Formats: sequence, structure tokens, C-alpha cells
Amino acid sequence: MKKTETRKKKHTSRREFLESTGAVLVAATAVPAIQAQTSETQGSPAPAAPRTAIRLHVNGSNQRIEVEDRWTLAELLRDHLKLTGTKIGCDRGECGACTVLVDGKPAYSCSQLAVWMDGRSVETVESLAQGGKLHPLQKSFMEHDAPQCGFCTSGQLMSARALLARNPHPTAQEVQAALTGNLCRCSNYNRYVAATVAAGAGNEGRSLQSVSRSAALGASLPTLKTVGQPTTRIDARERVSGKATYSGDVQLPGMLYARVLRSPHPHARIRKIDASQALAMPGVKAIVSHENCKFVWGAGGVAGGVQYNDQIKKITKQRRYAFNNPVRFAGDPVAAVAAVDRHTAEEALRRIEVDYEVLPFVLDPEEAMKPGAVQIWPEGNVSLDNQNEAKPMTQQRGKVEDGFRTADHVFEDRYTTAFVHNAQMEPRTCVAMWEGDKLTMYTPTGGIANCQNDIARDLEIPTDKVRVICQYMGGNFGNKNQNQDSDLIAATLAKQAGAPVKLEFSRKEDFIGMHGRWPTIQYYKVGVNRDGTLQSIQLRGYSGMGPYRKNSGRMGGIEIYQCPNIESVIYPVYTNKTVSGNFRGPEFPQGFFGIQSMMDDVAYKMNMDPVDFVLKNMTRKANDQVDYTNYSLDECIRRGVEAFDWKTRWRPKPGSDPGPIKRGAGMSFMAFRSGVGRSNAIIQLDGNGQYWVRVGVTDVGAGAKTTMGLIAAEALDVPLSQINVVWGDTDRCPYSVGESGSRTTIMTGTAVIEAARDLKRQIAAKGMPKGSDVLTASANPNPTVEGGKVRATYGAHFVDVEVDTETGRVRVLKYLAVHDCGRIMNPLSATGQIKGGATMGIGMALHEELLYDPRSGQALTPGYYGHRVLTHRDAPEIEVIFLESDDGYGAFGSKSMGESSKVPAVAAVGNAIFNAIGRRMKDLPITRSRIIVALSGERA
Amino acid sequence: MKTFASVNARDAKHAVTLSQQARRDGKVAAFNGGGSDLLGLVKERTLSPDVLVNLRTIKGLDEVSSSRGMVNVGGLITLDALGRNQQIRRDYAVLAEAAETVATPQIRNFGTLAGNVCQRPWCWYFRNGFPCYKAGGNQCFSVTGENQFHAIFGGGPSFIVHPSDTAPALVALEANFRIVGPSGERMIPAADFFVLPQRTPARENILADDEMLAGVQLPAPRPGTRGTYHKVLDREAWTHAVVSAAIVLEIEKDVCRSARIVLGGVAPIPWRVPAAERLLIGQRVTPELAAQVAETALAGANPLRNNGYKVPLTKTIVRRTVLELANRTA
Repeated sequence: MKKTETRKKKHTSRREFLESTGAVLVAATAVPAIQAQTSETQGSPAPAAPRTAIRLHVNGSNQRIEVEDRWTLAELLRDHLKLTGTKIGCDRGECGACTVLVDGKPAYSCSQLAVWMDGRSVETVESLAQGGKLHPLQKSFMEHDAPQCGFCTSGQLMSARALLARNPHPTAQEVQAALTGNLCRCSNYNRYVAATVAAGAGNEGRSLQSVSRSAALGASLPTLKTVGQPTTRIDARERVSGKATYSGDVQLPGMLYARVLRSPHPHARIRKIDASQALAMPGVKAIVSHENCKFVWGAGGVAGGVQYNDQIKKITKQRRYAFNNPVRFAGDPVAAVAAVDRHTAEEALRRIEVDYEVLPFVLDPEEAMKPGAVQIWPEGNVSLDNQNEAKPMTQQRGKVEDGFRTADHVFEDRYTTAFVHNAQMEPRTCVAMWEGDKLTMYTPTGGIANCQNDIARDLEIPTDKVRVICQYMGGNFGNKNQNQDSDLIAATLAKQAGAPVKLEFSRKEDFIGMHGRWPTIQYYKVGVNRDGTLQSIQLRGYSGMGPYRKNSGRMGGIEIYQCPNIESVIYPVYTNKTVSGNFRGPEFPQGFFGIQSMMDDVAYKMNMDPVDFVLKNMTRKANDQVDYTNYSLDECIRRGVEAFDWKTRWRPKPGSDPGPIKRGAGMSFMAFRSGVGRSNAIIQLDGNGQYWVRVGVTDVGAGAKTTMGLIAAEALDVPLSQINVVWGDTDRCPYSVGESGSRTTIMTGTAVIEAARDLKRQIAAKGMPKGSDVLTASANPNPTVEGGKVRATYGAHFVDVEVDTETGRVRVLKYLAVHDCGRIMNPLSATGQIKGGATMGIGMALHEELLYDPRSGQALTPGYYGHRVLTHRDAPEIEVIFLESDDGYGAFGSKSMGESSKVPAVAAVGNAIFNAIGRRMKDLPITRSRIIVALSGERA
Repeated sequence: MKTFASVNARDAKHAVTLSQQARRDGKVAAFNGGGSDLLGLVKERTLSPDVLVNLRTIKGLDEVSSSRGMVNVGGLITLDALGRNQQIRRDYAVLAEAAETVATPQIRNFGTLAGNVCQRPWCWYFRNGFPCYKAGGNQCFSVTGENQFHAIFGGGPSFIVHPSDTAPALVALEANFRIVGPSGERMIPAADFFVLPQRTPARENILADDEMLAGVQLPAPRPGTRGTYHKVLDREAWTHAVVSAAIVLEIEKDVCRSARIVLGGVAPIPWRVPAAERLLIGQRVTPELAAQVAETALAGANPLRNNGYKVPLTKTIVRRTVLELANRTA
């Protein structure tokens, strides 16, 4: 009790300090005050965490270590033995990234206590390579391009190693079973399986037989020397050996650990925050909340769906801060603590008392549109655009009413899509360090330059005072563009504490604290003539944005049909759920599910084969008016129909198979943006004949580093081995566009080509540099497409499913994806992009949902287990055919790719289910329960 | 994570003593086997132990042994070892199959039989920190909330479903559970181990403080007995049972002599359906009879708003599994 009193006393002084500084954090004042606080607390005894000495055999060496009883094995390995190849994806035994071998058996090191390991043998990924020689599995993983982002790779390797130890020649099915406990959100499951099978068969060093089938469109697509060759990634070795450094692997001397306290209420006003008890805890170094950290988080908030900039910052009425009051979703940050270790930081959160005035909330966008609904912002629940106007997003051509009047048939329907989370394997972790007035942030971001600009703008410091480093990143999928509130919070804590701070989000926080794909409600009305020609398409839609408009809320899809009359009115609506934002093809997979299901249904009702309907009505000119730079949609569909054997697999009468287990086929197609635009690159040539390609890429997992190297090698006409790519550090790289919007190869790749041209001119003029001389060429091209044409990437997906109508089980038996993504830079990684997107689409179609409790507004499935991310066993073989083209734009004719593979996938699966069971499933996800209910007439 | 001390137990009795000691000192104690479930609960602060009594240091409690025709299985046997054990696979296939369906290799490598039987519910309210009955509170949030994975039998006041795959198998095998506690050792039938929430809303079984499940005893298999575990998952792997059926039939010359049908994923305890079992006794199993058995098994189901689909789903599983088992050549 006495101790408590001492704490109380300290708390008063801290309390007074907080109040006296008022709302704005004044760093210069804050630091000394907190340091005084720190020295005071150093005298009091630290809370005793029981410790035990254990003996451990780690990677072949015996160790005696004293551990805290509460340390997990993962924590011991990563933080104390510096074996950071083992990753923590969820810390709950739900993902497998932390898999190590304990006495030869795969174990989740996050779910084993270090103290339980006494006397046991532990092997981590670092043990695989012996004497600098890679293990056959590592080689095979590299050759098969199994790691995309690489965050799950160490775990996959360890499970595979245990399998091969007891079964040296496993079948693909045995590999799937053995690796089931290792999720891969890049969904490169096919490759992990193939790589393990190949390593097991002793086929070490064997090159891949075929990565995908590829065919040139038209007659002339000259073969290039380096571009287009299946190439092992330049950083593959790091990815398979645990040496790739992700933000969470960064450990700095004197570094503190931070944790965020989040609102338990979906909507509440904070009356008072009492952090005194927390601040009085020994080891607690700094606490921030809305009271002393008032930074606007521009990219997280109200940009009206466009990239945030100074102009918008001045205009916007509805601001999102790093800490908000009122809090507007369960998970909105309330305070953050930096302490000497993560356990202390976590404990301190529990001692922060927050007095909330709980406010009513609304979760459903249609409910939020009703008169009298809870107002989340004073301006109402329709999200404001960047001019502060509450308007729906509209698109119009012709007059839909005219079309409906003249159409022979008019169909109407409603489709909904669920709130789903990006669920990239690497949870948000960043490390902030101040050196004087310069901030260095190690943070996962797909756009180091955007992140740097955003942090500087938000913290109101010059851009050159911010350095952003991201060497490796565990997946993006739209979830790590720009900067994050975690960057601002970590920077503020580090400033206050006068020490580097590592801020870690738990997996649950990453689910509820960041963003997922906006859920939609889509009402379609379609007019069609007797011969199946579209006359009118009308869409009224509602997107649930959460309480801040981080991104647009659009629904893509209508534009891929040629139709004289279209009208689309989409309301981006505020709700008190977690914020919605970009996720692999931001507005398309959900919009396409709606429109492509609707059109498949129209075709069915018109008694047409959907392929015929599509060929009749699909886009041939952009917006029915403007030519595309190349056009191959018809070819994608024709080749797909043939290769898939559509006529055999598709049932003219849906649901007509006898017996309870029925098969059916579905298809969907897409034309997807593939614009050109500005980016930068620098290439230097040194006296040793080495080329240094500086590009501001991170490589979110799609292989950008290697692609930039290939493009440079091709453009310079030198072997890839002479190319050194410099990436992921704003102090060493020029501005490049962020790795979002599937644009890196097109835009930054074009900049690399331009820089290479310049360098070759310089070499021609000055000769090769000698000694310490360096030639430097930089390029900042901003190409445009001539004649107002539109660039698009095309694709068609074909799916054969089997549905057990009595159990609701859906199995994908065959999946074919045909894509024209322009010229393919690296068929090895390109195929992985298509496979990954399609597999993710299957997950979105069948399982995934971030579900909310209607009464409390809390997320019920905020993790891999609840969200039902697909496992090895769920992932079918995705067959890929590329139709290569070169329209004269992009780097060597490259077009967008990464997002496009997910766009048609969800609808294709839905349409296949319809063909199998004869019932149209209109709500995502198409779960067992929904199928059973649809077919049996049972209530819910 | 919260601070706690880990103490190693030498044997089951010692484990009980360690737990008792901790509680006498006013501390919260918990037993750990594989630890997967326990650590998750501790990290979420659903459980706040001061002392973890580590059972993994107990020797010999992970073995399968026979005595007088009966088979004893130590509670600390891992699910992986259980699923691979030749004797279990041959004579008690329903149990081996159930063990094989649990979670993932990583969890089965360390998760134990006792831990699987005693794991806490996976209701999303309980696991997300809601103050529900199972967390010591006084309401069940699923009743008016999201309840697609909740109970259609035996619910009230809590509507959780029992999460274990091995538990329905053990009930179907009419196993006995060996419980070690402060007053020594006792054996009870598996079916009596599990309790409905109307009796103890905060617990799923009869274990009292300081008591542990030390092992199970399986009766000698009778000739003609065949069993299987059919589990329906919400993706192809790594979920708890949406519904499941552990079925053991004794068939002599095509006639069913005895039947045990225990459903998982439908009730707060493994749910045995005696009326359905009785229909099989003395009968040849036909598709019509299997359908009738399934209808009877689900008679009286009382679904909530969103879990009505479990009724036809479970009927299908029971019908198909009974038929498949009966048609198997022994």
C-alpha cells in the first residue's frame, strides 16, 4: 500500500505537468520533464517478474540462459538471442510465421514459453544453411519463387524440413497437410508446395518446367535479352535464410517498447484520461494521448479518397488526428505508452483510467443514411469529399430511364459484400529514432517517399528531417501505403522519452486499428433487349467507410460493359466500424462481384451462355468512347474458353447435376486501369563497372527490386550480375511512386529505362569511368498516353467448383486465369502475382469477414482464425496463361498486374456456385451456412 | 504478458499440491500441458494466473498401455502421438481420427489429449474479452448477437458449443476419465465429466480447483466395432468443428448390436443422442434407417437466429456417417 501512495504522489506531478502543457505537445518542454520523471522512478524497485535459468540447445549450441517465466520462445529467440529470422505474425498460434522445430517437431514459438524449453533442442531458420551452403529446401524455395513478401517463409521452411525428415518424398497432398499450419497471405501456396515436393524428390537445382503458359498477342513481340526470363529474385537468399530485415527486426541501443490503448467503445467522448498510475510505474518512460499529441494524421483521414496534400490539409473540415476525441470506432487509439520492455508497456496501459461518455453508434451504411440516424460527424453521415461536400460519387452516360423504357426486359437485384481485412502477414511495427531534429523511421510502407512526405507534413517538420527506411516488408495489399498513425505515435513517444521507440501492433490491433476493404450494398437495375444487348445499367450503392474517409468508397465494374445508358450513384457513408480503405484493387473485387453476378444472372434469365452474353456486351472502348492502347479482352476470353474446356464444364441448366454433390462453372472478366505516370530513378556507374540503380521501392512482395534490376540490365545491355539495386531508404533513393495501384513496374520501370538511356549517352561521350570516378544519370519522366487513349490490363477467370448441397462445402476443382498484363518482366514472380490474387479472391468469395457484434460494435473475428484466411489445404492449383503484348507504353510494354488478379476472381467463384446449385448467392461471403439456407429453406 | 511463475510438477499428485499451495497463498494457479490454449487466454487477460503448474515435466503420463483388456491413455499424450498410435488407430479409430482433425501439426505436436478435452470455448464473445458467463459474467452475448456457431441443443444460459474434437470421441467410446485432485484419484464416465451451463455457467466440466484430468481409460473393443469421426470445418483446415459426429457401431452379421452417436459443435457438451442410437439396435442399416436416425438425432433442436443451418447439416453428417460405417467391411 505504501508503494501505491508513492505512486500517487508521482502521478500528481505528472498530472499537473500534462495539464500545464495544455493540448499541444511542446517537445522541448516535454523531454526534460519526462527525464526528471524517469530518474525519480529509477530508484523504486522494478516489479519482480519471476526468472528461471534454463539449458537450451539452440541451432547446435548449448546455452544457459536466464529467462523471465513469461517470455515466449519467440520472444527469447528474437529479442534476446537475436535470431530474428523467426517472425511473429499473430502471437496466438493462428498463422505459423513463428514456426521453429522443438526436438525436431514444428512448434509455434509464440505459443510456447521459453521456460518450458529447458533441456530441449530448438532449431530456427538460421540453422538450415550449413557453412554458407543453403539447405536444398532453401534453394528450392528460391528457385520456385515461393516467398513473395517472405514474412511467412521461415515458418514454411521449418514445417517443410520436419516433413522431409520423416517423409523424404512427399506428395503434394502430404505437403499441404504438413504445411497447413503455415498461412501465406500472398497466397503463394502452389509454389510452397511445388518447392517442397521438388526438394524432397532430390531435384535440387532443377529449374522449373513451366511457370505459366505464355503466348504473344499478334505477330510481333520481339524477345528481349534479360526482361522476360524467369529470374530468381535478387534478394531471394535473404528471404529464405531469415536474414531479410523487416521493421520489427530492428533493435537499437536503449530502445523502448510502445503499446497503444484503444477505445473499447465504437463511439464515445473522452471526458478524462488519468495516466498517473501508469506513469508512476517503474520503467514507464512516456505517455501520449489526445491531450498532448495533437498531430493530424492526414493520410489516415479525410482526404475525400484522393492522396492527401498540403492543399487538402488546409481545406478539410473533418480532421483525423493520431488520437481523436470523440473516438469513433472500437479500436480508435486513446493513448500510448513507451516503457523499457513490452510487458511493462502493456501493463501500463491497464493502469490508464479513461472516463468515457458513451455515445450511440451505427454500423450499417444504409442505417446510417436514414433520417434520425446517429450523427458521427456534425456534417452528417455521407462522407465529405476534399472540397467538404457531402455528395455521392456519380457517373452518367445517356439516360437510363430511356433505356429502361425501350428495353425488352428489366432486371433488378441487390448484392452485398462483406468487410474484409488485408491481413498481410507482418503486423504493423515501427521504430522511431531522433538524432537531434532528424527523425529516422523504420516502418513498413509500400511508399517510402510518400511516407516520408506524410510524416513530415503531419509532424510539421521539413521533409529532409525525416528518413524512412523499409528494407523488407511483410505484405501490403493496400494496407501500408503512405504513413500510419503508428509512425506519428512512435515519433512522438521517442521525442518525449528521448530514446528510440519500437511500437508494435498486436494482430488484433492490426485488424481493428488500421483498415479493411469497404463493405458495400449494391442495387442494380439492368435493361436488356431480346437479343441480349444491354440498354441501361443503373447502380445505387452504399459503401461503409468507417468514421474517417481514408479512401474513396467507389465500386468498380459498370465501366467494363458497353451500354448506351449508365448511371451510378454511390454514397460513401460513415459508420462506427473500423475504417475502410484500400485493399488489392480497392473498389473492384467487391464492385465486380456485384456487377458480374448481376450480368451472369441476366444472361441466365435471357437463356444465354454467359460467355456469349459477355462477348456481346463487354467493353470495346473505354467508357464506350475512347480507344484502348491495345485490346485483347476478346482474346483472353476466347483462349480461356478453349483452355478451360468451358463448353464441357459449364451446365446449360444450373443445378442440374443429379445427386447432392453438384458441379458447375463460372467466369468473370476484367479490364483494369493501367495508367502511366511520373516516377524517378538514378543509375550510377562506378570505376569497377558496377551499376547502382537507386529506386525508392520497398518491394511489398511482388518482386519490385528484381524487376527494376531486370529492366536496368535490359536497358543498359549488361548482365543482371552487374546491377546493384539500392532500395528502401529515403536517404539513399530518389522519390518513386509508392508500391500501390500496381504501378511500380510501369512508372518507376520507365524512369529506370530513361536513366539508363542517359547513362549510355554519358558513357558514349565520356567513356567508362575509372578509379573513383562515378557517372550519374537520373530521370524523372512523366509520360502520357497519346491521343487520349486509355491503357488497360485484361483478364478472364474460369472456375469449376463442386458444391455439396447438403453440407454447403465448396471445392474449387479447376481454376484458370488468362491475363494480358502487357509484356511480362519476370514470368516467375508474375505468375505468383496472378496465383496469389486469384487465391485471395477465393477466400473473399467463400470465407472471409471481419464480423461485428451488432449490440456492442466490437469486431468478433479480428485475427487469422476468425477471419478464415485460406490455408494450404484450401488453395487449389491456379493455372495461369499470359497473353503478352506491347502497346508501346510502360517499361517495355509492361502493364499493371498485382491487383488485377483479384478483381474478377470473387465473381467467377460466385458464378460457378450458381451454375452448380442453381441458386444465386447475393451476399458475401458465400459460406456453408448461406448455401444450406438457400437450398434447404431453413431459417438462417 | 502478465507476470507469473512457472513451476514444474514431478507427478500428478505433486501438480495438485503445487496448485493447492499457490491457492493457499492467495494466488491464481493454472495447469499447463501443451500450453497453446492457456497462453492465448493469458495474453488476452481472460485468465490471469500467478502460477503455472507445468505438467510437461511429468514423466510417463503420455503413454498408451493396456491392462485387463482396457487401454489407458495418459492425459499428456500429444494429439499427434495419439493420432499415430497403432493400437488407437486399430481399436479406437474414432479417437485417432478426432485427434487428427484438431488444428494444425504445430498444435497437435504439443497440444495434449487432456488439454484438448479441457480447452475453453472458442465462442467469439468469450475470446474477444466480453464479460460473458464463461468469463465469470452474467450474460451470454450470442443470444441477441452473432450466433451462427452456437448451440442448438442444451443451451442456456450460455450457448457456447464444446470446442473439443476428442471429447465426443471419448464419450462415444464410453471412456472413463481419471481425475487426480486433493482428495486423491477418482474415475468417472466421460459423459459425466462434461456439464451443461445450467449447472455451472462458468465451466465446461466437473473439475474442481486443483483437480486435473490425468488420463482416460478405454473399454476393451468388442468384436465388430467400428467407429469414425466426421468433422465439418469452416475452411478446409484449422477451425473447430462447425458440427461433428463421433459414431461407434457394433455390427454383427450386418446387424447393428450397439450404437453410440455423439455430436460435436451443437451443444455446450458432447451431445449424445440415445433415441437415435436405439433405432439402430437389432437393425440392418439401410439408407432409410440412416435418414430416420438422423431425423431423430436432431429432434428437439432449438436453433438461435443464425444457426438453423446446423440442423440439416448435422442430419446429413449423421445420415452419411452411419451409412458409411455400416457399409464398411469390418
